Amino acid sequence: MQLDLKTIEALAPDQASLSAASKLTKRSNWPRLEMNEQLGLIWGECQGSGSNPYRVAFDTGDHGYKCTCPSRKFPCKHILGLMWIGATAPASFDRVDQTPEWVNDWLGRRRKTGQQPAQSAASAEGKSIDEASRPDESAPVEDAAAAERREAAQRKRAEDTRSAVSAALDELDQWIADQLRLGLAGFVDACSERCRRIAARLVDLKATALAGRIDELPARLMALRGEEKPDAAIRELGKLVLLAKAWRATPDDPELKRLVSTSETREQVLANPDAVQVASDWEVLGEKIETRRDGLVSHATWLLDLQSPAPRFAVLLDFFPASAGRRSGAFAPGDRFKARLVFYPSRTPLRALVAERLGDAAPGAWPAFASDAGDPLAAYAAFQDGAPWLSDCPVILPAGAIALDEKDGAWWQAANDPHGIALPVEGSVNRTLLGLDLAATAALWNGARLELLASQSNMGRLDLS
Amino acid sequence: MNEPEQAGLARLRDGWISGGAAFELAPAEWKEVAAAANPDEQERRLLAIAAQALDVALRPAAPKTLKRRPPLPALAMPMIPERLRPLLRAALKYAADARLKARVATLVASRGFVLHPMDWMPAASDQESPEVYAPWVDWQAGADGEKQSRREQLTAETWDDFYPAARRTALVDLRRTTPALARTLIETKGASESAEVRLALVELMRFGLGADDVPFLKSLSADRSGKVRELAGRLLARLGEHGNQADGGSEDPTAELAAFIEEGKSGFIRRRTTYAPMKLKSPAQQARRADLFASCYFGDLVARFGKTEPDFIGAWQFGVDDNADRFLVLMVSVSGSDAAVACLADRLVAEGGKLPLLALQLMLRLDSGRKRLLISQILNDAQNLHALNLVEGVEAGWLDWGDLAKGKTLSALRSAVSGDNSVMKRSAEQYLEAIGFLATAATAEKLIGEVVTAGLPPASPSLGLLRLNAALAENRSQSER
Repeated sequence: MQLDLKTIEALAPDQASLSAASKLTKRSNWPRLEMNEQLGLIWGECQGSGSNPYRVAFDTGDHGYKCTCPSRKFPCKHILGLMWIGATAPASFDRVDQTPEWVNDWLGRRRKTGQQPAQSAASAEGKSIDEASRPDESAPVEDAAAAERREAAQRKRAEDTRSAVSAALDELDQWIADQLRLGLAGFVDACSERCRRIAARLVDLKATALAGRIDELPARLMALRGEEKPDAAIRELGKLVLLAKAWRATPDDPELKRLVSTSETREQVLANPDAVQVASDWEVLGEKIETRRDGLVSHATWLLDLQSPAPRFAVLLDFFPASAGRRSGAFAPGDRFKARLVFYPSRTPLRALVAERLGDAAPGAWPAFASDAGDPLAAYAAFQDGAPWLSDCPVILPAGAIALDEKDGAWWQAANDPHGIALPVEGSVNRTLLGLDLAATAALWNGARLELLASQSNMGRLDLS
Repeated sequence: MNEPEQAGLARLRDGWISGGAAFELAPAEWKEVAAAANPDEQERRLLAIAAQALDVALRPAAPKTLKRRPPLPALAMPMIPERLRPLLRAALKYAADARLKARVATLVASRGFVLHPMDWMPAASDQESPEVYAPWVDWQAGADGEKQSRREQLTAETWDDFYPAARRTALVDLRRTTPALARTLIETKGASESAEVRLALVELMRFGLGADDVPFLKSLSADRSGKVRELAGRLLARLGEHGNQADGGSEDPTAELAAFIEEGKSGFIRRRTTYAPMKLKSPAQQARRADLFASCYFGDLVARFGKTEPDFIGAWQFGVDDNADRFLVLMVSVSGSDAAVACLADRLVAEGGKLPLLALQLMLRLDSGRKRLLISQILNDAQNLHALNLVEGVEAGWLDWGDLAKGKTLSALRSAVSGDNSVMKRSAEQYLEAIGFLATAATAEKLIGEVVTAGLPPASPSLGLLRLNAALAENRSQSER
């Protein structure tokens, strides 16, 4: 396995990429660096600006590469950084015999020519590793007056935003009252157009997060059967009313700001002393990937805390443009790792960032969580008490099985109560699941449907997302 | 939520669906919360309360007719170790179709493991997957109840306790060990089954077929189903019982077929008889000849020339008419005796060139040794490696490194992966997948090394089955079962 800096120079799309890559050559940026010498592969996880690290792989044989970041430069700075470490500090890589499944997945999808890389195809002209390695000496020094002006401008912008959002919520209130007056039957039929119009208004008035949520409302309604749509519309619009009221009561609340206008940056969350931090063993329960109407793909990775006595969850949420193509996630369902997570401040902390990866966790079954024997959705009720404007709540369901109704719709049914508690499951299920006993099931409950993530069963762990 | 509230919520819901103010329809307690506000705000407050009530206090009502499937039966082999599942999934992903995926399952079963049901399941109609999966095939076919067929002996009394796939497997076992008992079961229980099931049962008579089966097969000449009668006739023909005794007149199809075959002589010193297809003059003649080859029995045809089956095969002139060669091989595979099938396979393999490919038609009737010989021949001359993907019913994991290394296949693979021809590369990758099924673990390991050294990227997905093969052996030695 040989890599040299000339190759990196030749492959880099431009000098800026090389300069950015040089900043990623510190070992601390890479919670994981591994290589398989037999296969000629190096891969790693690089902590980027997303909520979870980017997965980066490079084939030293034919210079094929893969990175989960949304960059439109090929190769991106993460690939170049990985190669750079491979060329200058190969000892940083742990030697392993087996490749992780995400690398196997990538290899399986590749259309390989099997040709050796053509060195002449890429040129190093206009790019220099030496120049990229030089420390940046041109950082501007800000004087005190400028700093004060900048802060004042920031305060002004924040005040403007608050006023605009307040106006947005007034318009939203009026719009909701209009929908009730016109009738929800008509709203359900024309929700796509009506939601689009109010969402556009909300974007104009800087309530962008709320606009995104309303933009998704038609899709949520469309997924339901006709007779369920009015109830779903009442639930969704009612939650919007609650959210608007909560924001008006405490407009500086970080959770409400995040849901109505904009989210904090990764750096702000990490620097927040009030943010809950949990160092534990985590299992990736599953992923939920949705393409939104605004052209973004939301990629949610749900995690389960394996050391908590009661079920505790986290979700790593990333957004990237749909035009960037399909991206594989940083984690695969079933992965287990030790990590310190920092949660976005919230009444019901769920959204989190991986602050520090601390190695892999041992495989095994989920802990036997103490469950509420009477109601598998007790956690959902508590969740709604804390944040009634939210929808998806992760739950661990007790022993059960999947059954079918007359229309072939799937239901999760409690094992010890065959004629009692049963919850409808979203979408179709793998038919094999119908014959398995589920000792415990992790799912998202949205008040109407269960979205299955994973199960522990008599056949081991099942990926259901 | 109490009853008045539920009734009030239903009224509110109806009111909002049709539109207009719904405040007056709300439950009394809710009205109190919403009262002190303008009309729009009242509606919004009620909406917020209704949303919470729907979210938390009401649950979707479960239908009373929810149906559960019986538990997926446990199989007689352990599940593949968890750490090998990524390799397994990679091999399954590369396998292009159901047949190739079933081949992966066959390889894994040959090493004593079954696949995880979420990774792969046999189809309900599957008859190609390893026998160990019969309970899952039955489960897929929708069998209900609690039958435990595989743990019992199949008898007339337990017949109904077996699901179709499990019964099929048990009958095949019985035909191999005590064929008379299986025949009696097929005879007594099959009579009351539908034509389709009878056909499937009689088809199992091919396992362990012997002279004792003749009376039963002859009795089937009166079966209600034409397909069953036809199948029984073919099986009788395999046993040397000439099914179509005819007078040789103009209506005799065997005589008509014989007329398409020309008898000749060859050799100067020792004159010997040869048989070759006559040159045909029209497409109509070709079609008629094809029909006759498909409907006549080989034994009858050979009798027409006064020869034994092996003698006729020895005298056939291959290469004169490729279609006729193909029809003849198909005819032997369907109605030739075991001796004729063996003789024909030996001759085709010995002739080399394209002829061993014709022997693929005989695969289902060849013994294990001849199957291996045929594959070894294909690997030796490396001219028709694509045929490796056509072989059916062959065992997994027996090809030793010596067998592979002595022929031309290895060098052909090396040159394909190191060359620039992308078509040849893709073909080579398919051959690697096929050899991944046939090879022993040691062979798989060595072959990976060879082709990677020759230039195939070590991470190529086409090596998936070879890697799984090698890892399965390694796993066994570690006693992880």
